[in-house]
Formats: sequence, C-alpha cells, structure tokens
Amino acid sequence: MKRKLEIVAGPISESALLSQRQMTDTMGAVVYFLGVVRGTEEGAAISAIEYETFQRMAEHQFGLLFDEIARRWPIESVRLVHRVGVVKVNEPSLWVEVVAPHRGEAFAACQWLIDEMKRVVPIWKKPVEKLQAPNPKSQ
Amino acid sequence: MQVIVNFYSYLKDLTGCAQALEALPEDSTLDALFQQLITRFPKLGPVRNSILLAVGLDYQDRNYRLKSGDEVSLFPPVQGG
Repeated sequence: MKRKLEIVAGPISESALLSQRQMTDTMGAVVYFLGVVRGTEEGAAISAIEYETFQRMAEHQFGLLFDEIARRWPIESVRLVHRVGVVKVNEPSLWVEVVAPHRGEAFAACQWLIDEMKRVVPIWKKPVEKLQAPNPKSQ
Repeated sequence: MQVIVNFYSYLKDLTGCAQALEALPEDSTLDALFQQLITRFPKLGPVRNSILLAVGLDYQDRNYRLKSGDEVSLFPPVQGG
C-alpha cells in the first residue's frame, strides 16, 4: 500500500493534492475527506484553531495506523495531510484520501483512519477567541 | 537514574514548563514517575485521570519499567482533525 503523510504549517491546497492523485486501473473507488475549522467551539465564536503536535510521535502513530489499514483492507494508497499552527475558520485542517478497488473498503478505511487518529495521534487544538468589536457605549 | 519528561498542550501551562528532568530509583515504573510528578506539579492532580503517557514514541501502561535516559511524554486527550 502506498502511503503519504504530511504534517504542515502552511495551507492545504486541495487542488494540488487532487492533481497528484495516482491510481491503477484495478481501482474503482476514491474517498477523500476534508476537515474544516468551524466558527464556533463549545458555543463560543472563534476566529481560528491553533493545532499543536508532538511531531515525531504523530508520524510514528500515523505509520502504525497505515500498517493496520494495509492489514485490514485491500487499499492501494492512503494520503493524509494535517495542518499545525493557527488555522482560520473555514480553512481545512485535515485532508485524507483513500484509493481502493470498491467503495465499501474505501469508506470504511477512511472513517476508521480518522476515528483512530482522533484517539491516538498526538495533536491538540486550542481555540483562538474572536476579538469582540469595541462597544461604543462603553467608551 | 534520570528520565526526561515532556509536557504538551495545556499541561505545559499547568506545570509551567515544557520539560523536566526527574531522578528515580533504578527499575521504577511509569506509575512511580507519574506519582512523583503529581507531587512536584500539584496542578496536574485534578486532570490526572485524563493524562496520556508515552515513552519514546509509543503509549505505555503504568506498569512499564523505565530505563535511564527514557524520554517520557505527558499529554491530555488528543484532538486531531
């Protein structure tokens, strides 16, 4: 199984990632997922999320997850990009792609990978609160 | 023996540092180190049950026997995505 992992500080270019897709003619399913920063966190408006990682361990844990995917499903390739640092609202923080012979294993592997990432890969987030406009009455 | 302890995410705020050097008796367990850290950094106490522990790049349970020079990481539940 081909695998590609990037933990990046800059923006995720979805178009560049899509243009780099490679698949053989025995593959019939591509599932990809984009995780985007929402404008609220626990009910409060935010402007961004700051992601922090323990990068060496994150790369190692992603490697273990990719190994498990290769054992469980006949996947041809997995690519995953996760941003770190400050990611503004509406910007993607995560991009995942799974290429497989059929949609069943592609959906299952993609869902499993994201669920497990949220369980074991050392990445944390801190909401960046939205700055409130000054209230003219209080000035 | 000595081990290096790294703190991540808000555990850095609770301890006031990103890294600490801890001295322990030979053959100590990860749990013994953890109890020592709770004593040294009491603000970890209230969140102790949610803290994850790794040695090197792998998660380890509390019975893991530490070796001199091990690098131990403490962090809160992960939140990628």
